[in-house]
Amino acid sequence: MVKRGQMSAWLGGLLALVLAASSASGAGVTPKSGGVLNAMHREDPPSLSIHEEATVSVNWAMMPCYSNLVIFNPLRGQESPATIMGELAEKWTWRDDGKTLVFTLRKGVRWHDGQPFSSKDVKYTFDLVRGAPGAPALRLNPRKVWYAQIQAIDTPDPDTVVFRLKRPQPSLLMLLASGYSPVYPAHVPAAELRTRCVGTGPFKLKEYRPGELIELVRNPDYFIKGRPYLDGIRFIIIKERGTRIAALQTGRVDVTMPQEGTKPAAEQLRKAVPSMVIDEVSQSINDNLLMNFKKAPFTDARVRRALSLAIDRRAYIQAVRQGGAAVGASMLPRPWGVWGLAPGELAGLPGSGDPAKQKAESRQLLAEAGFGPGHPLRLAVSTRAIAQYIDMATFALDQLKQVGVDATLEQVESAVWFAKLTRGDYELGANLTGVSVDDPDANFYENYVCGSPRNYSQYCNPEVDRMIDEQSQTPDQVSRRRLVAEIQKRLEVDGARPILGWSNDYYAMWPYVKNLIPHQSVYNYARFQEVWLDR
Amino acid sequence: MLRFLGRRLVLAALTIAAMSVVIFVLLRVVPGNIVDLIFQSAGLVDPSEKQRLVHELLLDRPIAFQYAQWASAFVHGDLGKSYRYGLPAWQIIRPRIPITVELAILALTISIAVGVPTGVVGATRQNTWLDYGLRIFSLAGLSLPAFWLGMIIILVLVRTLGWIPSMLYIAPTVDLRAHLLQFAFPALSAGYRSAALINRITRSSMLEVLREDYVRTGRAKGLTSSAVVYRHALKNALLPVITVIGTEFAFLIGGLIVTETVFNLPGVARFLVEAILWRDYPVVQNLVMFIAIVVVLSNLAVDALYARLDPRVRYA
Amino acid sequence: MRAIAGRFLRRHPLGAVAGVIMGLVVLAAIAATMVATQDPTRTDAAQTFLPPGPRHWLGTDHLGRDIYSRIVYGARVSLAVGLTTSALGGIMGGVVGLVSGYGRGVAAASIQPVLDIMQGFPLLVLALVLTAALGPSLPTVIVAIAVPFIPRVARVVRATTLAIRETTYVEAALALGASGLRVVVRHIVPNTLASLIVLTTAQVGSAILVEAALSFLGLGVPEPYPSWGRMLSVSAAEFAQRAPWVVFFPGAAISVVVFASNLFGDSLRDFFDPRLRI
Repeated sequence: MVKRGQMSAWLGGLLALVLAASSASGAGVTPKSGGVLNAMHREDPPSLSIHEEATVSVNWAMMPCYSNLVIFNPLRGQESPATIMGELAEKWTWRDDGKTLVFTLRKGVRWHDGQPFSSKDVKYTFDLVRGAPGAPALRLNPRKVWYAQIQAIDTPDPDTVVFRLKRPQPSLLMLLASGYSPVYPAHVPAAELRTRCVGTGPFKLKEYRPGELIELVRNPDYFIKGRPYLDGIRFIIIKERGTRIAALQTGRVDVTMPQEGTKPAAEQLRKAVPSMVIDEVSQSINDNLLMNFKKAPFTDARVRRALSLAIDRRAYIQAVRQGGAAVGASMLPRPWGVWGLAPGELAGLPGSGDPAKQKAESRQLLAEAGFGPGHPLRLAVSTRAIAQYIDMATFALDQLKQVGVDATLEQVESAVWFAKLTRGDYELGANLTGVSVDDPDANFYENYVCGSPRNYSQYCNPEVDRMIDEQSQTPDQVSRRRLVAEIQKRLEVDGARPILGWSNDYYAMWPYVKNLIPHQSVYNYARFQEVWLDR
Repeated sequence: MLRFLGRRLVLAALTIAAMSVVIFVLLRVVPGNIVDLIFQSAGLVDPSEKQRLVHELLLDRPIAFQYAQWASAFVHGDLGKSYRYGLPAWQIIRPRIPITVELAILALTISIAVGVPTGVVGATRQNTWLDYGLRIFSLAGLSLPAFWLGMIIILVLVRTLGWIPSMLYIAPTVDLRAHLLQFAFPALSAGYRSAALINRITRSSMLEVLREDYVRTGRAKGLTSSAVVYRHALKNALLPVITVIGTEFAFLIGGLIVTETVFNLPGVARFLVEAILWRDYPVVQNLVMFIAIVVVLSNLAVDALYARLDPRVRYA
Repeated sequence: MRAIAGRFLRRHPLGAVAGVIMGLVVLAAIAATMVATQDPTRTDAAQTFLPPGPRHWLGTDHLGRDIYSRIVYGARVSLAVGLTTSALGGIMGGVVGLVSGYGRGVAAASIQPVLDIMQGFPLLVLALVLTAALGPSLPTVIVAIAVPFIPRVARVVRATTLAIRETTYVEAALALGASGLRVVVRHIVPNTLASLIVLTTAQVGSAILVEAALSFLGLGVPEPYPSWGRMLSVSAAEFAQRAPWVVFFPGAAISVVVFASNLFGDSLRDFFDPRLRI
C-alpha cells in the first residue's frame, strides 16, 4: 500500500540534519564561517548546464549554484528514500494511489538575479526536460526518459506544484533528488545556462575561465539562513593526472574530485600525508562491455555468453582496479546499493565462477558457434582514449586471448566515441556507465529498454521491458526487489551489458575540511552548503 | 633593403593564406566533428537536433563557402565563436597568449644565457674535458623528452620540498614573486633543449670562425688572444646563432605544448591540443594562424637583423 | 667500404659506440620475441607494482605487465617510426629539393618560400594537426612526422643542387649533350648524399621524441603496440611516487636511444665534412 500523508518532510530533514551534523563533525563543534575552498577539477565541463549533460564534471562544479525540489541529505553517505529532504520543497504528499505528487514550495526564495522563485519555474523545468508538447527543446536531453510517466504538471498557486502521472512511479522522488535534477529559472532561456548560471543555490557563479578555473562565491540571500559557511569555492582545472595528485599532496587543492581517487593513489597519498582524510565509497559507476547485438557474431547467444564467461570478474577487479571495486550485476552491489544481488545469486552468473572452468566452457561455446584454433573469432574492442577505459580494454583483450579470441584494441577519441556507439559502428566496446541514483528506474530505462538512445548495445527483450515496467509501478518493496533481482539475472545471462565491476572512489581531503561527506554516488553531493573550513 | 623586406612580406602573407586553407580543409575532413563532440557526454543523438546544430554551425555548406565566411570574418577582426565553449574565440584565446609568449621569452633568455657562454667556452677549450662535458650536457638536452623532464621535476619537488608551483595562474601584477616562481620551473624545463641547441650552434660557429684567416691575421698583428676572440670572432660567429634564435622562438612553441600541460599553465600551446581534440575549428584555426604569424615574423626579423649585421650579404 | 668504416672508427670512437648502440637497439627490436622475457601485453593481477627484480628486470606496472619486455617491444614502434619517417621524409624531401633546385620554372621557384615557412613551423604542431585529421594509428603517426620533415631536407638538398648546377663541370656536361636527368643522377645526387645521410640520421632522434610526445598527449600509436611515450602518460604519472621505475625506465629508454642517434649523426657529419652547416 502506498504510504499516505507522511510527516512534514521538511521537519524530518531538519532533524536528520541536526543529528547527522552533530555526529559527523563531533558533537559540540561549531562550524566556522569563512574561507575559500580549493577543489580539484579534472577538465572543462562540456557546458555549464546540468540538464544537458551526463558527466560528473558538470555536477561537481555546478551543483553549488542550483537547488532541487528535494535532495539527499548531504551529511549522510548512504543515499536512500529515507535520506531525502526538502530543498525548494517544504513538504510533499502522494495522492491518488501514487499517481499524483503534490509539493508545497518554500516561500521567499529568490533567483541569483533577484527574480522571485515560484511554482512556474518548477513547471517550466520539468516540462522542459520531459519534452512536454509546446515546451522549448533542450539541445541535449539525456534524462528525458526519467520523466516519461509525467502526464502533466499543474501550478494551482505560486507555492504549489502538482505532478500528475500516467501510472504510479514510486521512484519519481528518488529521481528528483538526484544531482541531475535542479530547478531552472523560467525567465532565462535554457541555452544561456550553458555558459552562465542563474540558480537559487548557496553559491553564485563568479567567473568561468575556460581551461583554468570555475569560481563561485557565497550567495548572501540563500534561503537557508546561516548557510553556506564557505565564502567561495574555486574549482581548479588540472588536466594532467600526475600533476593533480601532486597538487593535492602539496595542498594546492584542498579536496579531490569524485571519480578521481583510485586505490593505489590513495595508498600513496596516505604514505605521503598521514593526516589526509580518505573515504572509501562507491562511485555508482560500473565498468561494462558493450556487445553489438546488431552485428554478427554477437547475434549468436552462445558467442555472447562465451565472451562474458571469458572475463574473470574477480581478476579484473584485482588487476585493473587494484582491489578497489566490487563485483556486481546491473544494480549497485551491496552494501553500497540496496538492489544489488546477494553473493549467492551472483555466483551463478558468467564471470563469477571458477575462472578455469568458465574459460573452458567459453572455449566450448565458441567451438559450438563455429570458432576454433584454426578459425578464431576476430574482433576489435573499441574504447575511449582515457586511462580507466584503456586499462579495462587491455585486460579484456588479454582475457579474450586466453580463450582463443583474436582481439585487437581500437582507441577512439572522445570526440567520436558516443556517436560511434549510437551509430552501432563497433563490435565490442569497453565502457563506463554511471547510475546517478540507486534506483532501478534511473538505470533500466536509460540503458536496457528497447529503443532507448543510450542502450548502445541495442539489446531488446520485450519480456524484460515488461518486467521493468512492472517493477516501476510496484509500491511493495519486497516484491519489487524480487522483480529487480530477476531482471538483473536476465540481463547478465542475455549478455545485455556484462558488468565487470563497480569501482570504488577514494575521496581524499585535507583534515581541515569539514562536513564534506562523499555519497555512494558521485553525482549527488556537490552542493557544499554544509561544508566549512577549520582553520 | 626595404624592397627586399616588402617582397618577403607579401610572400609571407601569401604563404600564411595558403597554410590557412590547408589547415581549414584538413580539420573538416576529419572523422568526428564538433557536433558529435557536443553530444559526446550526453550520449544522445537525436537526428533532428543534430541536423539543426549542423546547420547552425554552417557545417552543411560547402567547404569553400565556410572558408570564405571565415576568411572575411578574420580580416575584419572577428575570429569566430568557439564551438566548445559557446564564447567568442578571441575571448578565450586572448588571455592565454601573454602566458605562452612570456614563457617562450623566459625560456629563450635562459637558453641564450646558458647556451652562448658555454658554446664559446667549448669552442675555445676544444677537446678538453670541459668541452666534452659540455657537449654531453648539451646532447642530453636534445635527447630528453621535454614532458619527461617536466614530470621528473615535479616528482622531485614533491618528494624533496613537498611543494609545487601554483596550479592557478598568478599574474605578475598580483604577486610578482609567486609569478616568477611559477614560471621558473617550466622555463627551465623548456629552455634546456633550446640552450643545448644554441650551445651547439655557437660552438661550431665559433670553431669555424676561429680557424679563419682574419683571425690568424689578428693574432699575427699582436692582438691578445681574448681580444681576438671577443672582438672579431664572436661578432661573426653570432650570425648563425641569431638565425637559430629567431627560428627557435617559433619552434619553442611546440615544446611548450607539453610543458604547459605538465605544469598546468593556461597558455595558448596547451590549449591548441585541447582544441584539436575537441575539433573546435575556430580556435584551432586561430591558434595555428597565430603560430604561423609568429614563425613568419621571427623569420623576417632574423633576415632583417642578418642583413644589418653581415655587410657581405647582398639583396639585389 | 671497410676502409671508410675503419677510418670512422679511429677518428670518432664515441660516434662508433653510439652507432653500435643504435644497431643493438635495432637488433633487439627485430628479435624482440627472443630478447624480451615475457609477453608485453600480459596482465597479471598478482604482480602489480613490483620493483625491479630477478623475474621482472625492470619491474612491473599498474596492470602487472613486465616493463622490460614492454620497453623491448616499444623499441619496435619507436624505431619503426624513427627510421620510416626519416627514410620517407629524406627521399621525398630529396626529390622536392632536387626539383626546386634544378628546375627553372616559376613553379620550382615558388616551392622555396613555402618550404621556408614550413621549416620554421613547430614539428609537434604539424604532427598534431595531421594526427587529429587522420586519427591515431601507426601509419598516421608516420605520415604526421614525415611530412614536416620534408621541407627541412628539401631546403638543404635545394641549396646543394643550386650550387652544383652552376658549376662549369655541369655546364660542360650539358653542352656536350648530356640530358638533364643524367646530370642529376651522376653529378648532383652523389654530392647531396652526404648531407642527406646526416640529416636523416639526425631526424631519427627527433622523430622518436615527437612520437613520444604524441603518445604522451594521447594521439600516438594506440594499444596494443607498447609505446615508450604512452608508457609515460596518464597512468604512469599517477603512480610515479609509489613506483618510480614505471616512469624512469621508459623515459630513460627514449633518452638513451635519441642520445645515441644524435651522437652517431654528429660523428657522421664531422666525418664527412665538418663544415657542413646543417
